[in-house]
Amino acid sequence: MEKNTVTSVDAGLSPQKTRRSMGAKASRRLSNTAIYIVLALITVIWLFPFFGILLESFRVETTQQVSYLWPKQFGFDNYIKLITKTDFMQWFVNTGIMGVATAFFQVFFILSVSYALSRMRFKGRQGLMNIMLILGMFPGFLTMILIYKVFAEAGLTMEMAPVGLIIVYCASSGMGYYVSKGFFDTIPKSLDEAARVDGATRFQVFYKVIMPMAKPIVIYTILMGFMAPWGDFMTASYIIHENSEGMNVAVGMYEWLSKTNLNEYYTTFCAGGVMVALPVTAVFLMLQKYYVEGVTGGAVKG
Amino acid sequence: MKKILCVALALILCLGMFAGCASGTPEETQGTGADLTGNYEITMWVSEKDGVAAQFQEQIAAFNAANPGITITAKIEGVTEADAGSKVVADVATAPDLFCFAQDQLARLVQASALAKPGKAAQEAIIANNDAGSVTAAKVAGDIYAYPLTSDNGYYMYYNKSIITEEEALDLAKIVAACEKNNVKVRFALENAWYTAAFFFATGCHTTWTTDAKGEFTSVDDTFNSANGMIAMKGMQILTNSTAYDSNADIFTDAGVVVTGTWNADAAKAHFGENLGATKLPSFTVDGKSYQLGSYSGYKMMGVKPQTDAKKGAVLQLLAQFLTNEENQLARFNTFGWGPSNKKAQENEAVKANESLTALAAQNAFATPQGQIAGVFWDNAKLLGAVAKAATTEAELQAGLDAYTDALNAFTSLTPEQRAAFTVIGGIKDSGWGTDFAMKEDPAGTWTSEEAFDLTVGTEFKVRQGMGWKVAYGDNASNADTNVPTTDKANFKVETAGKFYIQLVLGENSTAVVNLIPAN
Repeated sequence: MEKNTVTSVDAGLSPQKTRRSMGAKASRRLSNTAIYIVLALITVIWLFPFFGILLESFRVETTQQVSYLWPKQFGFDNYIKLITKTDFMQWFVNTGIMGVATAFFQVFFILSVSYALSRMRFKGRQGLMNIMLILGMFPGFLTMILIYKVFAEAGLTMEMAPVGLIIVYCASSGMGYYVSKGFFDTIPKSLDEAARVDGATRFQVFYKVIMPMAKPIVIYTILMGFMAPWGDFMTASYIIHENSEGMNVAVGMYEWLSKTNLNEYYTTFCAGGVMVALPVTAVFLMLQKYYVEGVTGGAVKG
Repeated sequence: MKKILCVALALILCLGMFAGCASGTPEETQGTGADLTGNYEITMWVSEKDGVAAQFQEQIAAFNAANPGITITAKIEGVTEADAGSKVVADVATAPDLFCFAQDQLARLVQASALAKPGKAAQEAIIANNDAGSVTAAKVAGDIYAYPLTSDNGYYMYYNKSIITEEEALDLAKIVAACEKNNVKVRFALENAWYTAAFFFATGCHTTWTTDAKGEFTSVDDTFNSANGMIAMKGMQILTNSTAYDSNADIFTDAGVVVTGTWNADAAKAHFGENLGATKLPSFTVDGKSYQLGSYSGYKMMGVKPQTDAKKGAVLQLLAQFLTNEENQLARFNTFGWGPSNKKAQENEAVKANESLTALAAQNAFATPQGQIAGVFWDNAKLLGAVAKAATTEAELQAGLDAYTDALNAFTSLTPEQRAAFTVIGGIKDSGWGTDFAMKEDPAGTWTSEEAFDLTVGTEFKVRQGMGWKVAYGDNASNADTNVPTTDKANFKVETAGKFYIQLVLGENSTAVVNLIPAN
């Protein structure tokens, strides 16, 4: 019955269908064109600030903000000033160290927590997961004053800020276990069991069996850890407390936007922005293919 | 696992024991001929401007050379003077030993015990050597707390001489017209109370704040909300109604006129080139009468943090005195163009010939020295510029001024203790919901209003704590209703007219009852 109806409709419309498909082709082309125009527009809007910063970082005729986009004179003056006349390189190195250290410790914490939560069954596991989920919902700045007091007494602020900040970034990182736990859940448990039967310890299973298969998620975790310190301003600014030796790039460069400095340092600030983008972009490009796999890999199972 | 937890908790406890060790008792220090020789490691915050820290290092080296036996090794950070004070107050223990700040932060620093008073002799030297405005600015309740560093933290006008003639530069309307014609901006930060005040000072308005010895604000004499204040609002509209108006005066993009200060002298030169003009602010005309724009004259100060080591404290006072003397102020003028506060340095030929400082001096004739002013002023006066821009009728301008007065009244009608206690607020007096009225606690748990109010039927009010809405009681049915999730309850509605004291009785289990007590 149903089938008949379908056939008859098909048959009845077949001459029209040809015409329509011509129309459909045209209209698809039209809608595609419209979509591409919109997408191109969005791309332009999206990329414009980056493009602008890049151009301004090469502008040498004045260090102030100007009302035109294309520099009248190109040169590397801003970069030279950035590297030779400011503390930028120190901030850059500080941030780099923080990035590498954070990446290292975060991988360890996150993967350990995720593996334990994925593979082991213990009392309070579900409760623990829920608590971590709820704790994670509180914004980090709630603990600002407390963290500052403790760190100040322990001597982990000012010039020791990089160490303090690494602790801040890594301390609660285990709570960000969701993505990697989801990924581990997709690896069959029988692999673990087989290894266990062969006499491997839990750690050996984790290290020798699971880790090689979890490359995408490891890379993903490394990336997230490495990128965090580059953009952090809030936590960094109060832990650093105005000590140029311990500054990260965000806090250091912020000084250039003050009323007194803005007109002298605006283009230098842009050059700094480009420099900051470099390591992050480089690492990202290198690890890009794993990154996509990592994010989606973990999404298969909650 | 439990063991680790115990150890961790014990560690945290131990950390707590050290809390407070670093902060010492503030001491009034001054070298009284005692032996001050020794090596001192100090930390300092100075302006973040390029080269400032380096010059201070040179001057400290000169101090070391001039005082055999004293060796100071300084670690200097660049921190903008505009908010160095707030950053010091945030944590006095880790704050630097010497720091430079804009004088509007002085009261807060004194409140936080972040400044060590110079000794008697040093105070007298400060009074004798610096101009009167900077000395006033260094005082809190009659005592000097800091060393004047510059006398140039004021604003005046930079303009493009090829667009605006010298004669046009005297009148605001002409400036606006010339800039509109040439499609350039008049940059005047009227959304910042420091600049907004220029128009009010022009018409003779004033705002004068009084502090007690602790640096707490006690009262204000403010005439912004007046007939003259209305003229000032209309004067602002000459500018704000123009397409040429831009409230961002930190940048020079497309600028024909920028109202700013010496900190932008280099940027102004770079932008305007040989067309650079610098002069006092213009006059504006409302209803046929002309008013010369006023301004705030501001100062920068150098302060010494109280030290636990009296010897170091004394050395720091000597160093601060040295760094702010004539010679060093002149050096800063020569390198950075900072206007000296030292009277002898001001007489220097080069200082007199500097065009930015000349413009500042011309404007200073109409300037009001900036004393200690409460934050509530800055937060509310800055809104007036936006009100002037948005308003189309006189009633709207008046509403803006009324809101400003309400905010000030709410702040000053009470002492700090009263502000922390329970207060009555509502339609109980003409001032409406803008003003809190004080209450007294006697006996404990029972708060009664200090005055009796004439209440009419239907009047609504609330009793609130700490001038906020976190704890606010009203209607007794609502007060008792534990289902109301917040402690901000419904308004109390008066049902019988008469003269009443308002009373709040706090019971156990945080119950609260609001009563009306007949006045006779």
